[in-house]
Amino acid sequence: MAAASGTNDLSSEMELDAFRRLFPLRFHERHLLESIRPDGRPLGRARDTSLSFGAVASANGSALAKIGCTTMLAAIKLEVMTPTVEAPDEGCIAIDFHMPPICSPLIRPGKPAEVAPVISKQLSDTILRQESGMIDLKELCLVSGKAAWMAYLDIYCLDADGALFDAALLSAVAAFSHLQIPVVSLNDDGRIVLVSEENGGSMKEKEPVNKEKIKLKMSSQPFSLTCILHKNYILADPTSEEESIMETYLTVVLDTNYQLASLNKPGGPGLASTSSIQDCIVLARKRVKELQQILGEAISDMEVD
Amino acid sequence: MTYCNRAACYLAVLKTGAVNSSSGSAYAEFGNTKVIVSVFGPRESKKAMMYSNAGRLNCNVSYTTFASPVRGQTPETKNISAMLHRALEGAIILKSFPKTTVDVFALVLESGGSIMLYDMVAAVSVSCIGKNLLIDPVSEEESHQDGALTITCMPSRNEVTQMTVTGEWSTTKINEAMQLCLDACSKLGKVMRSCLKEAASAPQD
Repeated sequence: MAAASGTNDLSSEMELDAFRRLFPLRFHERHLLESIRPDGRPLGRARDTSLSFGAVASANGSALAKIGCTTMLAAIKLEVMTPTVEAPDEGCIAIDFHMPPICSPLIRPGKPAEVAPVISKQLSDTILRQESGMIDLKELCLVSGKAAWMAYLDIYCLDADGALFDAALLSAVAAFSHLQIPVVSLNDDGRIVLVSEENGGSMKEKEPVNKEKIKLKMSSQPFSLTCILHKNYILADPTSEEESIMETYLTVVLDTNYQLASLNKPGGPGLASTSSIQDCIVLARKRVKELQQILGEAISDMEVD
Repeated sequence: MTYCNRAACYLAVLKTGAVNSSSGSAYAEFGNTKVIVSVFGPRESKKAMMYSNAGRLNCNVSYTTFASPVRGQTPETKNISAMLHRALEGAIILKSFPKTTVDVFALVLESGGSIMLYDMVAAVSVSCIGKNLLIDPVSEEESHQDGALTITCMPSRNEVTQMTVTGEWSTTKINEAMQLCLDACSKLGKVMRSCLKEAASAPQD
């Protein structure tokens, strides 16, 4: 009770800010009591999300995703490689997540962020799932046993303000939606060459290997929502401040058909009950619908331009 | 190959406040070159260093893996970090924040030629190819240059903080190039000034 009466006395902004810094947990719990968060959101709502394509002109596909202040830039570059003997008609996707020092005051050059490789692995697991994965690696094949695409997906965190995995996954899915596979053909030496638009006419006698495969087919697109579990409260799409104060969180990944693709609760001091997990999945379902709409709108905007 | 007589700079796009979690930040675009810079501090020095009355300036420049046309071929970053440090050193009043460090981190999102450095310090480079002087060369032009000149200056004070000359130059050419650089620097300075003014006059959220 002392905490509650204490906050009422804090009238000026200066004192409020001091209270927020000195007693962050009390500050947040006081908000939770009123079912609101310091940034004015209800507990279950995610921050404003936006997507744009083609930020990196030199890449084959790129996208910039923003969830609140968290900003992710994903770019895909394609290279021709020789497929492995085990999978002669499959391409390959390499996913890397980077947190350069510009994105957060906690990261300094030469000392990489601990979460970066964790998120990198989570992204690979989600995108490259066996069988029902988002991309059929056979789509990346050019000439069976001879040539296939190697897709390098690099995601850079430009501004870290919580829910990093959600933003990174969104930017990755969007970058694959934007990806344009260049038209290539086999030359006389049996090597793959690019058919550029200028000399397309002169190379007409050489049949392009992949005339129709300009866009990559995606069987299912994963989207995610991270929620903080704190006491009986569930906070969707946390900011970095909330993540640093309340350390138990749960990430739900659903595919296009709202099927559960992954559920991750990486430890933390709190335990998740069955009902809270179910509540998180309900919130994630709502959020995935929202994200699908945002992605759809961004794609139709791009096609108009 | 297009060796046009491009005596004008690329359109410069500048936006402040690109990264929310930093103390100050900016996004800059010069043609195809896109850079984000975050400034953190003044804050406690991470490295245990000796006591110093003047503040420290720490600069770091890194490239994304897709910054260059061929993946993974990123240029030498130590050199450019040091250049950024030297360029900013003269402009920052280090005495005003004793014992602490200001970190300036830059991430090159996409590199389309010469890298520009700023913070009210304008930098412009000129390439010399045969008899032609090219201002703000693209990487293709840079690979064919006979000589290069980079001038960093503070336009409002008309002070040159840094000048780098490489390659073959005749005296007349170098005079001409320096003048060209200084003119471009003052123009760039104006762009930067108006951008900062806009940001400062915009209502704070």
